[in-house]
Amino acid sequence: MTTKRIIPCLDAKNGKVVKGINFLGLKDKGNPAELAQRYEEEGADEIVFLDVTATMEDRGALLDSVRSTASTISIPLTVGGGIRSVKDASTLFSAGADKISVNTAAVRNPSLVTAIAREFGSQAVVVAIDARREYDRWKVYVRSGTEATQLDPVKWAKQVEEAGAGEILLTSIDRDGTKNGYDMDLTKAVSFNVGVPVIASGGAGSAQHFLEVLTEGGADAALAAGVFHDRLLTIMEVKKLLISKGVEVRP
Amino acid sequence: MRALILNYGVGNIFSISSALKRKNLEVDVSSVPRPEYDLIVFPGVGAFSSVSNFLRSYGETLNRLRKEGSSFLGICLGMQVMFQSGSEGGGGEGLGWFQGKIEKLQGAPKLPHIGWDRVQLTNSSLLTENIDGRYFYFVHSYVAQNYDPSDVDLVANYGSIFPVLVEGPGIAGTQFHPEKSGESGSLFLDNLIRWLRR
Repeated sequence: MTTKRIIPCLDAKNGKVVKGINFLGLKDKGNPAELAQRYEEEGADEIVFLDVTATMEDRGALLDSVRSTASTISIPLTVGGGIRSVKDASTLFSAGADKISVNTAAVRNPSLVTAIAREFGSQAVVVAIDARREYDRWKVYVRSGTEATQLDPVKWAKQVEEAGAGEILLTSIDRDGTKNGYDMDLTKAVSFNVGVPVIASGGAGSAQHFLEVLTEGGADAALAAGVFHDRLLTIMEVKKLLISKGVEVRP
Repeated sequence: MRALILNYGVGNIFSISSALKRKNLEVDVSSVPRPEYDLIVFPGVGAFSSVSNFLRSYGETLNRLRKEGSSFLGICLGMQVMFQSGSEGGGGEGLGWFQGKIEKLQGAPKLPHIGWDRVQLTNSSLLTENIDGRYFYFVHSYVAQNYDPSDVDLVANYGSIFPVLVEGPGIAGTQFHPEKSGESGSLFLDNLIRWLRR
């Protein structure tokens, strides 16, 4: 059976890895290619690279970072940030991305997901969903968490699956950077309602959090950034706990 | 040694190119099959019908290059088009180098099948040295069925058992992505180079 994946995330801005809390207060955490290589050596199953402030103007810096990261590592690389067209996606694939992740552009234009999937295959299209809790429900946010939509994350996830997404990267804005654990209710709601793999994101602070979200939460992969960047936890420590609890991971 | 990666015009061929260069192969990329390469690679990107149509348009050239001594490696979709036919996206004919057809993976909990799986040895070969039981990276929804078991060196299990390394004279195909499989992938490529020198 397919192993559960542990995925470090590099949030990059102007060619540097940054990390904030609740999507705000970004701090410099180093060079993406170097960090990616360190994570591969430490047992990462995949790398996600998100350019959190990507605009068309700084696309050059993003492409350079993708190329240098992709030529360094030999595990899969997902790249997201500012992708608005099939051509944008194509440019990133040529630079060494194995999958691309779309968020805002998918909400604005859901047919973009279908168009990229048709050309490059569903397996190459990740739809990132950023959700924030509001009373007893969640709302999907776009533009790095700055703009609310009327979309419900579970319905939206089903809709993008239908449109051709091969994977869903589900982030809880409330938990982002808090190290208080993944949003289990949100993760369960999405992962048990779609037929494509779900990557849980936002809130990882301990190995126990990974265990919970990958078992009870139903997630296929767990993503984390700050907890790994700050060396509060190593990927191997996470995997050791998972193996001891009978969860299959790549040793 | 020299490798040619066939570029069908879509997707990431940067990774396989980087992986082969790390093994000290001289790597060229071309949209046309050309002679005098030790290895010709069908990369694992695109959709079955477009890639098989593309390759079948060079069918005679490819068969001639095989006779002249070039070896071939197909990765993921690049392996699938080496079979007789595929059902993805309306279906189509493949190159027919291996017996069998490409069908949707049965019994899988989630599709696409994305992630690391352990491979299991069914036939030993130069290509499988130190590989049995290791984890490789997969990303696909379709697999080979009705295949000839004597072509299969390795299988994996995700909902059902399917071939992940097939081999014939001068041709090999992997359902996994060696270029994305970290240390396991690197070991496989070392074997591949020994297999090319055989």
